Amino acid sequence: MVQQVPRLAIVFTIAVAILLGARQLLIPPTFGEDGHYRAAAVDSIAAHPIKYAGRQACELCHAEQAEVRLAGNHRGVGCETCHGPAAPHVQGPLDVKPVIPDTREFCVTCHSYNASRPTGFPQIEPARHNFPRPCKDCHDPHAPVPPVTPGECSACHAQIARQKSLSHHAELSCAVCHEAPDTHKDAPRSVRPTKPQTRALCGTCHAAGIEEGPPQIDLESHGVPYMCWDCHYPHFPETR
Amino acid sequence: MQGFIYPNEFELHWSLLIVLYPYLTGLVAGAFILASLERVFNVKEVQPTYRLALLTALAFLIVAPLPLQAHLGHPERSYEIFLTPNSRSAMAMFGFVYAWYLAVVLLLEVWFDYRRDLVGWYQSAKGPKRWFYYALTLGATDLSEKSLKFDDSAGRWITVLGIPSAFLLHGYVGFIFGSVKANPWWSSVLMPVVFLLSAIVSGIALVLVLYMVTTMARGKPVNMPCLDRLAQFLFYAIVIDLSLEILDFIHRLYESEESIEILSQLIEGRLFLSLIVLQLLLGTLVPFVVLGLTTHSFRPKPLIQVPEELRRMLFLLSAILVQIGIFSMRFNVVIGGQLFSKSLRGLTVYKVEFLGIEGLASTIFLLLLPLFILWLLVKILPPWGEEPWNQKPSEVAAIQG
Ligand code: HEC
Ligand code: HEC
Ligand code: HEC
Ligand code: HEC
Ligand code: HEC
Ligand code: HEC
Ligand code: HEC
Ligand code: HEC
Repeated sequence: MVQQVPRLAIVFTIAVAILLGARQLLIPPTFGEDGHYRAAAVDSIAAHPIKYAGRQACELCHAEQAEVRLAGNHRGVGCETCHGPAAPHVQGPLDVKPVIPDTREFCVTCHSYNASRPTGFPQIEPARHNFPRPCKDCHDPHAPVPPVTPGECSACHAQIARQKSLSHHAELSCAVCHEAPDTHKDAPRSVRPTKPQTRALCGTCHAAGIEEGPPQIDLESHGVPYMCWDCHYPHFPETR
Repeated sequence: MQGFIYPNEFELHWSLLIVLYPYLTGLVAGAFILASLERVFNVKEVQPTYRLALLTALAFLIVAPLPLQAHLGHPERSYEIFLTPNSRSAMAMFGFVYAWYLAVVLLLEVWFDYRRDLVGWYQSAKGPKRWFYYALTLGATDLSEKSLKFDDSAGRWITVLGIPSAFLLHGYVGFIFGSVKANPWWSSVLMPVVFLLSAIVSGIALVLVLYMVTTMARGKPVNMPCLDRLAQFLFYAIVIDLSLEILDFIHRLYESEESIEILSQLIEGRLFLSLIVLQLLLGTLVPFVVLGLTTHSFRPKPLIQVPEELRRMLFLLSAILVQIGIFSMRFNVVIGGQLFSKSLRGLTVYKVEFLGIEGLASTIFLLLLPLFILWLLVKILPPWGEEPWNQKPSEVAAIQG
């Protein structure tokens, strides 16, 4: 036999032996018992200190807030979602205080306008919505309701109102574009408000030549011959 | 950002390092396949590049997993995939493909090919060097006729084994992308084949560049028949690669799945520079035309007769353009596949960072590292065959052209 074969054989045997030896030494004993992982990992994770106490724990001492929350629109949002992990507080209520998230930034993580949020989820445009007052001035964080009963047009046309409040037209009142007789509120289907009929209406603010203010277009050529709202939704005008 | 994207698509998870990884493995597979051409198919002209190609493959193979290690961030845990193999994960099994390719194919082939020289260096050197080379021979210092013959045939068999292994090595990389069925830019059965062919293209081009640079740096004349042959192979590889990519393209156009709109936006916008300009125009069409006109691909004469000096420069230029093109291709696949939203309604942007583990600086470092390793390898195992025991009169002529 040529010399190379036994020499290489030795090298490869050593390599395989190292691999097998390493397997013996390094694979944790419980590996593979329940799947492709170390079964004892479950125990070591269970041994981590508990950080969250759970909503039920809070209710024992904070019955008032718990009741309020259950009645309001934040009933689906857990106490510790806002107050942070509070298990240490449950152990020693007087020693450890949970955080109180009363900044605008905090509420905005869930409520700022974002197209990917579910339709109808209450959203605001933070820069426009009563900036810079803290949210809790007007909304009770445990049972948030709009502080005023929706009246006027938004009582019935809530979706349009909500959408408009997020749009570039947020500042415009409905009356700018619609003339609504008072009786419309009593008999909405038989007494109809007006709807804009001419391009000129939009032109009062958007036609070229008006100083300052909204973005301008040339009324004579822009989008002719269509009505403006064939392309721009008037309650949420976009340009893309 | 443009249009609508889901929140988790804003940031790209696979960045430059993952672009680098298929690029490096591609060079390995390509260089090896070039080497095997000489060995198995007995293409005599490219013989001067045989060992250089092997060492190139080795140097790049050593670096190839580093981008992955850096990207995943826990290099000290990587040995675990060998200890507890997970046969249901293609990525985990790749560790074994890699180990097989490194240990069984490349190292063994280099060893058999160099054994005669190792013994020679061992016998002629003194001091620690002598023992170093002795260790490399593994003590197999027998230089009998029978022994040398065994080296030769063992090397040949390993090469035969190595070709499918090289295909596996790089086909795997394409497979990983091609099998992501949720991503219309990647999901394609042609992916492994396209990756493989582009690997061959880039490997040949790299060896061509390295061969010219090293020969000139050593002040030796370039072996023109060898270079012509390399350029010819490069041309053929480009032809096949280009046709496959065009096939893929036409197939997508004809299928016109719902993703076609966002993909065409992607190509016309975000990827215009890297796909149309760099990959297609500069990286493929220019070399295709230059090599097509000046190589011996259309026997017996090239379409345009060019003086040697100019031809060398043209080949070098084409090979460098090809490298840029293939790197762009990896970029377009890896980054392009993450630029559009799964909603098919929007595109995000990729900003390359400079410092930081996934940044441009570490990419450049990892690109230079294999060249440095190659330089070391060449110092330890000179591939030029200029030792006294290699000087058979016929070969001297072959080497010096
Ligand atoms: C064992 C009774 C007990 C439990 C259980 C308990 N708390 Fe309290 N918590 C208290 C007491 C008592 C105070 C009043 C401390 C004070 O006013 O100085 C308090 C105060 C608070 C405060 C106000 C801190 C401040 O700085 O004013 C918050 C917020 C709070 N708890 C949240 C929670 C939450 C969330 C949970 C559930 C994880 C919880 N608590 C569970 C007893 C409890
Ligand atoms: C949406 C976020 C949110 C959730 C959910 C929430 N809290 Fe609060 N909590 C606040 C904010 C903000 C304040 C501060 C109110 C203030 O300063 O007027 C507060 C104040 C408190 C206080 C201090 C006393 C007070 O009423 O001002 C207690 C106690 C408390 N929360 C307990 C709870 C408990 C118990 C729950 C679960 C049943 C809960 N909170 C759920 C946001 C939240
Ligand atoms: C973890 C996410 C989350 C945070 C943080 C949060 N909210 Fe809410 N909020 C909700 C959910 C969920 C609803 C209920 C939506 C629904 O009814 O579909 C809601 C509803 C509301 C409403 C609408 C109530 C109505 O009757 O229409 C207001 C106002 C509101 N939140 C204010 C706040 C304020 C103020 C804060 C900060 C203290 C806050 N939210 C923090 C999730 C959150
Ligand atoms: C000055 C009082 C005031 C402040 C401060 C305020 N809001 Fe409001 N908010 C209102 C009023 C009034 C409404 C209802 C009418 C409207 O849409 O403007 C409302 C409506 C909302 C709604 C929509 C409710 C629905 O059913 O559509 C959300 C969500 C909301 N606010 C969240 C917030 C958040 C978050 C903050 C803090 C960043 C905040 N508000 C600060 C007065 C306030
Ligand atoms: C009592 C509820 C109520 C109130 C308040 C109300 N509307 Fe309406 N409005 C309706 C109903 C119902 C319709 C008919 C919808 C339909 O038939 O599709 C309607 C229709 C309309 C239309 C469409 C008319 C058309 O011909 O399509 C406009 C514009 C309108 N309302 C504007 C207003 C404005 C502006 C206000 C505030 C001044 C207002 N509405 C207040 C209930 C109301
Ligand atoms: C910038 C002008 C403008 C303002 C401000 C405006 N609207 Fe309109 N609205 C229009 C136009 C234009 C149409 C007609 C759209 C069409 O015919 O397609 C319309 C249509 C409607 C309709 C008919 C249903 C629909 O969606 O087409 C209702 C209801 C309505 N508006 C309610 C309101 C209410 C309520 C407000 C205030 C919250 C409001 N609008 C504010 C311009 C406006
Ligand atoms: C009372 C004046 C007024 C009227 C009438 C008016 N707009 Fe506007 N519009 C504005 C203002 C103010 C802005 C810019 C608000 C801002 O900069 O955020 C605006 C913004 C716009 C934009 C630009 C949105 C963007 O992305 O930049 C469009 C489009 C638009 N309006 C369309 C219309 C149409 C269509 C009508 C007719 C139905 C109309 N507007 C009527 C005041 C008006
Ligand atoms: C045929 C569709 C169409 C019609 C009709 C149309 N627009 Fe536009 N509008 C667009 C498009 C598309 C853009 C965005 C591209 C651009 O700036 O030209 C735009 C842009 C705008 C802008 C933003 C310009 C800026 O500089 O940001 C305003 C304001 C506007 N339109 C108002 C109007 C008004 C008012 C009318 C009616 C007189 C109208 N549009 C009719 C399609 C239309």
